[in-house]
Amino acid sequence: MSVQRYDLNACIGCRICNEICPMDVFRFDEALNKSVIAYVENCQSCGQCYVNCPGHSLVLSNYNIGFAVTSVRAANTAYSKPAAVAATLPVGTYDS
Amino acid sequence: MAKESKKHPKQEGEEAAGVSRRAFLTGTGSVGAVVAAAAATGLAAPKAFGQGSATSNANRATDEPPVPTKVEAPKKTEYQCDVLILGGGFAGLNAAMGARKAGQSVVLVDKGRPGYSGLSSFPSSHRWYDPEFGDDAQALRDTVQRGAEYIVNMDWYQVWLDESKGAMQRLKEWKILEQFPNAVETGHAASNNYVGYREKFAEKDRRPRFVETMEKSGVQIVMRTMITDLIQEDGKIVGAIGFDVPSGAILTFRAKAVVMCMGGGSIKPTGFPTAGNTFDGEYMGYNLGLPIIGKEFDDFHMTVSYAAGNAFLTNSWEYLESLWLCGGDITSKNAIQSADQKGKILIQGRILKALNGLAANDGTAMSDLTKGDATRRGATVSTNPADPRVGKRNSPTPIEDVVGSAAGMCLHLTSGIFCGLDDLVGATGMPGLYVAGDGANASAVTGAAYPHGVGFTSNFCSVQGWRAGQAAAKYAAGAQLGAVSQEKLAELKKKIVAPMNVKTGLDPNWARDVLHSIMVPYWIHIVKTEASLKGALAQVEMLRDEVVPKLCAASPHDLRLCHEMKHKVLSAEMKLRAGLERKESRGFHYRSDFPFRDDKNFLGYIQLRKGKDGKMEMSKVEVKDAWKGDLGQEYTKRYGWRFPGEAKAKGLPEETAPPAGAQPWAQKG
Repeated sequence: MSVQRYDLNACIGCRICNEICPMDVFRFDEALNKSVIAYVENCQSCGQCYVNCPGHSLVLSNYNIGFAVTSVRAANTAYSKPAAVAATLPVGTYDS
Repeated sequence: MAKESKKHPKQEGEEAAGVSRRAFLTGTGSVGAVVAAAAATGLAAPKAFGQGSATSNANRATDEPPVPTKVEAPKKTEYQCDVLILGGGFAGLNAAMGARKAGQSVVLVDKGRPGYSGLSSFPSSHRWYDPEFGDDAQALRDTVQRGAEYIVNMDWYQVWLDESKGAMQRLKEWKILEQFPNAVETGHAASNNYVGYREKFAEKDRRPRFVETMEKSGVQIVMRTMITDLIQEDGKIVGAIGFDVPSGAILTFRAKAVVMCMGGGSIKPTGFPTAGNTFDGEYMGYNLGLPIIGKEFDDFHMTVSYAAGNAFLTNSWEYLESLWLCGGDITSKNAIQSADQKGKILIQGRILKALNGLAANDGTAMSDLTKGDATRRGATVSTNPADPRVGKRNSPTPIEDVVGSAAGMCLHLTSGIFCGLDDLVGATGMPGLYVAGDGANASAVTGAAYPHGVGFTSNFCSVQGWRAGQAAAKYAAGAQLGAVSQEKLAELKKKIVAPMNVKTGLDPNWARDVLHSIMVPYWIHIVKTEASLKGALAQVEMLRDEVVPKLCAASPHDLRLCHEMKHKVLSAEMKLRAGLERKESRGFHYRSDFPFRDDKNFLGYIQLRKGKDGKMEMSKVEVKDAWKGDLGQEYTKRYGWRFPGEAKAKGLPEETAPPAGAQPWAQKG
């Protein structure tokens, strides 16, 4: 459940993701003119970088190795276990 | 990272039990395909970097370049102005514009980019009082006083009634309230085409308008800068200091007046995008010796239990669609019922779920506000077709079934720096320092609960920001720029970079996870007892004394995390101490060992402040008599619903149990 690179070729070097990420996840490689996902562990999966990326270079992954700790949690059917969630949640694509 | 590419059988065409979810996931075949393709190309050698748009999956480059180790420091590192605004959300934007309107020079500093940082990027509705469309002020006062359980600041509420329409009109003028069709209407929801929807309405996106509006007005904006300290000289606030997060360069700001609009905070959000808010302003205020109130009232935001942690899943359409215009739903006929109903749904409901557990979740339940009835979504009930307040009409997202998505966060507008019972501008009592907005000014306009209905916070922050900006401008007009000694600056700089000089220490991300585990269980913030709070407090004190001094930063990015952790640990301590002190139940504070309202002892606020010896001191502040409601009223009439155990403790008849299968959290906050 974090930002993921969809295609670095598509990064146009606009720095929008660097500027708008509230969590300081991105850095910028001046020589390559590309953004860098530098601190993905601090991604809060808000998706602002993904929906605002003009080159369509980023995507938001629903893959998660486990569940986040919450105050309480319901029992889950196989359909809603992490692997199934990753495969079926409405993560956006550039193909639709 | 290994990626799961195997499809669950349900995706292979097997009939899913939940038809609504299957229907919603139209086009998920391509989603699965992308996940699988990403897994495949992730193993392949990276393609050459180049310009252009994504083409076929086979040609995509999915590996990252190495993280650049050096980031150039900003050219300008010293600023001076009349009014310095810290934080660029709704409160900060309005404070900056209010101070500019009063003719003062303004610099605004934000930890990210205004419009996109903190919580200001995520409200989904906006509410105001509008007598033109028949709103009844007395009905609103009645619902708020009862719903907030008689500790709401009614003077601030009157300010809202008087100024909320003006605040809405400012935002409208700044193009922050642009309205456009929702994603069900445009067809984008059916194909989960988030990017396509955003691009279709890019011109109406409110977020770029924050910076544009301020820059047009002459406000100088400094982005991606974390302020860590206010500069105090001769008992006055004369500026602030912090660092450019990418480079770690120290930045100093000198000003005649400072307005803190830095929001509240949470420990580690799971499903609600609050991670950028980390109690930074509250920490600075506390260390100046200013009183803090409202910490015991917990926020109620929810997440999806099967994908807890996925903020985009929970908030996608709320993020992308309009700020829906709300109001007109409270009348003299439903004022009391509405207050009681909100208490039952938001508070009693979550307590019962925590105590009784939850039904198994199969991931199929969707919340569809486009089909919900008008009152449920906080819409207008006005028969006037000209009333623009159509209510929340967000496209379907999964129903959030557990609370705790913003663990550690306090109830909106209740917590932060307390400016006294008579303040109505955000003057802290410290010359030159003002506060505004959620988590900054503990104006208690929401009391012990949040009875106003959706969309109140973004509007009230705008009201409060404007007032604080104008008050700070007035003060600045009669003040001189204060001198800052070199010794003071050197001392503050040393404090900022201290975690960079820790040679062997502890990772701030680890410390955050430990704190999160201590504070997130339901017995700490939903069903509290003296034993549970004391146990957590002992753990938090360990973090305070053993971990915070050892937090180690390997980069400027980490430096931000280290300071944020320090702020979170203090906030957690305040939350636990305030919760222990309020030996009653009221609104969002439920003590199962004191499961009743105690009007004799607790019609007021628990106030915390740093004592002379550095220890946390506690006291109570009684609210004004006029805010207490009718104290002669019988208990069962005064409070419209019971906490679990309250009837027994007070010798009252038990309430009827909610119907089996009731989903009290289906209503979005």
